[in-house]
Parts: sequence; C-alpha cells; structure tokens
Amino acid sequence: MVFDLKAATRTPPRVVRIRVRRYNPETGSSWWQEYEVETYRGMTVLDALLKIKAERDHSLVFRYSCRMGVCGSCGLVVNKRPRLACQTQIAEVASEGRPVVELEPLYNFTVLRDLATDFTEFFRKHRFVKPYILRRDVREREEPTLEYSQTPDELAEYYEYSLCISCGLCDAACPVYASDPNFLGPQALAQAYRYIADTRDELWEERLRLLDVEGSIFKCHFAATCSAVCPKMVDPAGAIQRLRSTLLKYKVRVYRKTRVAKVVPPMEKREPQKPLPPEATLVEGVDLKLLEEEKPVIPVEKLLTS
Amino acid sequence: MERGRFRFLENRLGIIASLYPWVIDIRGNPERIAFTLHRITGIILVGFVALHIISTNTPARAGWEAWVEEVQRLSGVNPVSLLFFIAMGALVFHSLNGIRLLLVELLALGIGRPEKPKPPYIPPSLKGYQRTLIYIVSILSLIIWALMGYVIFLM
Repeated sequence: MVFDLKAATRTPPRVVRIRVRRYNPETGSSWWQEYEVETYRGMTVLDALLKIKAERDHSLVFRYSCRMGVCGSCGLVVNKRPRLACQTQIAEVASEGRPVVELEPLYNFTVLRDLATDFTEFFRKHRFVKPYILRRDVREREEPTLEYSQTPDELAEYYEYSLCISCGLCDAACPVYASDPNFLGPQALAQAYRYIADTRDELWEERLRLLDVEGSIFKCHFAATCSAVCPKMVDPAGAIQRLRSTLLKYKVRVYRKTRVAKVVPPMEKREPQKPLPPEATLVEGVDLKLLEEEKPVIPVEKLLTS
Repeated sequence: MERGRFRFLENRLGIIASLYPWVIDIRGNPERIAFTLHRITGIILVGFVALHIISTNTPARAGWEAWVEEVQRLSGVNPVSLLFFIAMGALVFHSLNGIRLLLVELLALGIGRPEKPKPPYIPPSLKGYQRTLIYIVSILSLIIWALMGYVIFLM
C-alpha cells in the first residue's frame, strides 16, 4: 500500500462529493448516488459513510466493525484502488482540485447490497489451504502439554505473512482472480506459504500436494498488485513466488524442510509458589488468613441507597 | 447469482483486468504494467508464430528464388515489414521479461527477504531487484527494438 504518511497533517477540502456505487438485489439495478459531506481534519472514508448513514440516507449499506484497521471488514474500492475505508483519510484521496471520492464495492466479489460483498467463497478458499498448524501427534496439537521450540530467525521467516486480516483487498486487485473464479487467490496462497514456512508445521508435504492442482499456484504471473494494495504489508506476491519455488523444488526432490520444531518444556521453570514468610503483610490491616476463611461481604444495598 | 427473490451482482472485472492495467489505480506498481505487456506480447507472438509458419512454408517449398523474394518483402516500409517489426518488438520484450519472470517465479529471486512492517510500508517484493530489472528490461528492449527497426526499414 502506498501510504500517504503526511495525509493526517493536511486539511481535506471543506466539502467533498462522495459518489457511491449502489446496488439493489431486489430489483437488480445498479446506480451511482452522490452525497455532499462536510469534512473535518482527520476524517476517514468510513467516518464520511457513517455521517451519510446518520444524517442523509439510512438505506446505504456497508460493512465495518473495528474502525481501526484490525478486523478487515470495511474493504472498499476508493477512487479505483482497493483500500480499507477506516484507514483511508479523505485528505489522502480528495484534493481541492478534485473533491470527489468514488466508492465501489470490492471488485471480483459478489455484491449483496450497495457496498457489502459476499465473503463465503473467499473463506472457503482460505479453509481449503488448511490455515492451521498440522502435527503428526494430533493429541499433542489439540491438548498441548509442552511448547514448540522456535528461534526468532524462524519466526521472521513467516511473521510478515501472519499479519493478514482477511480483508480481501488483494483478491479484489488481482488480475488473474478477476478473470478466473477458480483461482485460489493471493490471500489463500499467502496463508498456505505462511504455514509451510512455519517450523512448527509438520505436515507441509500434505499442504504442498494440496496446492499442486489446476487453478492453484501456477496461475499467478506476478502482477504484484496484491502486495501493492495490502494494508498490512503482508506481501502476498512475495509469498506466492516463494511457495511456487518451494513446490517446484519439492517436485524435483531437492526441497526438504530444514527443521521441524520439536516439543520442549517451557524455558522458564515453573516452580511451586513459595509461601509468604510469616512477617510479610501485603497491605497494612489486611489479614490474609481471615480473608480466606471469611469471604468479605460487599454491602451493595447500602451503597445503592447512599 | 440468484438466491430466492434476490439477485446478487457478480462484480468481476474479467479479462479487461489483464489487458488494461489502469482499470484500477496502480501507483507504485510497475509490475502490473509489465504483466499486461507480457500478456499482450504473448498474444502477438502466438499470432506471429502461426503466420510465420504459413508465410515461410510456401516459399521454402517452392525453391530458392521464391524464398529470396519472400525475404525481400521484409525490407523497406510496407505492411508486411511493419507487422514483422511489431512482432520483433513483442519478441524482444517477451523474452527479456521472461528471463526476469523466471528468476522471480522459478527461483524466488529479486523479491527481498521477509521483514517486519516499518514505514513507509513498502512490501519487500516491490523493493527487491526485480523492480530494477523491469526498468532494465524496458530500456534494453526499446534499444534492441530501435536497432531492429533500423535493420528492417533503413538497411
């Protein structure tokens, strides 16, 4: 994502025209609707949408949740670029010369209504690559008694890819996904690599075989728009190239995972808690023994009446 | 997609996304232009190879004189040499960019190392030397294409 780091310091145009591409599933009609919104410094696209919803048009539909770029619900196409509505400031996308913000639902997704899109297919593809740690010892995986050992260098190999918030911007930007609905998409493939590169994952061969199919990884041709629009700098394009290289090496039998993490006891020994010495009192006037014997009663009714 | 009385909109960009990069805002992403050019030059080359087989097959069977006549049609400015010139441009770019793509896609080279996000938040694959290779490929193919134009049209 090309972040405009100084956008927050600028004042946006006093009034911007927000053009929203709307869609009604009952009639099947789609149209552009225009709203004029008074802005303030630091206003985001999501703030503008909420203002429209509150003051102008309550029928406008969009999805949002956390308002701070963590949940990945508010993905939109803002001025022809997939962005998170909550992370995009009006000052970033509108200027005095062109005070227009065009909002469209995410490309390559099914539009439910107005700006809300259907993510069923997206998450089906995400689940297809098994985005979780696989171990041979299933019991240890499900009911862990010990820890998996991992060095900071091994963590750095996949940490970047684990920041994905599943907002779908990469799939909206991908030119291959645009023309081929069966393509797994950058998000799912990046997550596949995230688990293959993770040393804690033991059944990486199973996941590689899963990806060695038509419509999977060999459809990518490195347009790298997924990385360019990613709001979390996850770099799906880089992950896919590494994954493909890994898969090809695996197919010609020159790839082996260098290390698979073993289960180890925690680094800090957990010793049984030492009892406090008899002369130690935490707070003056508090008798710990008495507290254990008689639970303190809080006079709720007395507090309420006073 | 229809579900009950609702008709949902398939918002796919389709093949246009592969052939016209500016359908979305691609600032800071020359890889997308390289990708589109690679596709377009690929399509041109498929047509060229098909035509090339047809156009060389007949004179090659007819004998040496027919062959020389066919080759002579390629020099000087005429529709055939113009098409040949376009095909050669496509060939140069497609092959040079193909080498870059082999490095990136087959060997995962030129895309940097995974790193923790830090300002100005540019992903490592867009900072790696594959980006430099795009500029080298573009300039080199323009130079070779111009030289080819000189050989075809002026020599």
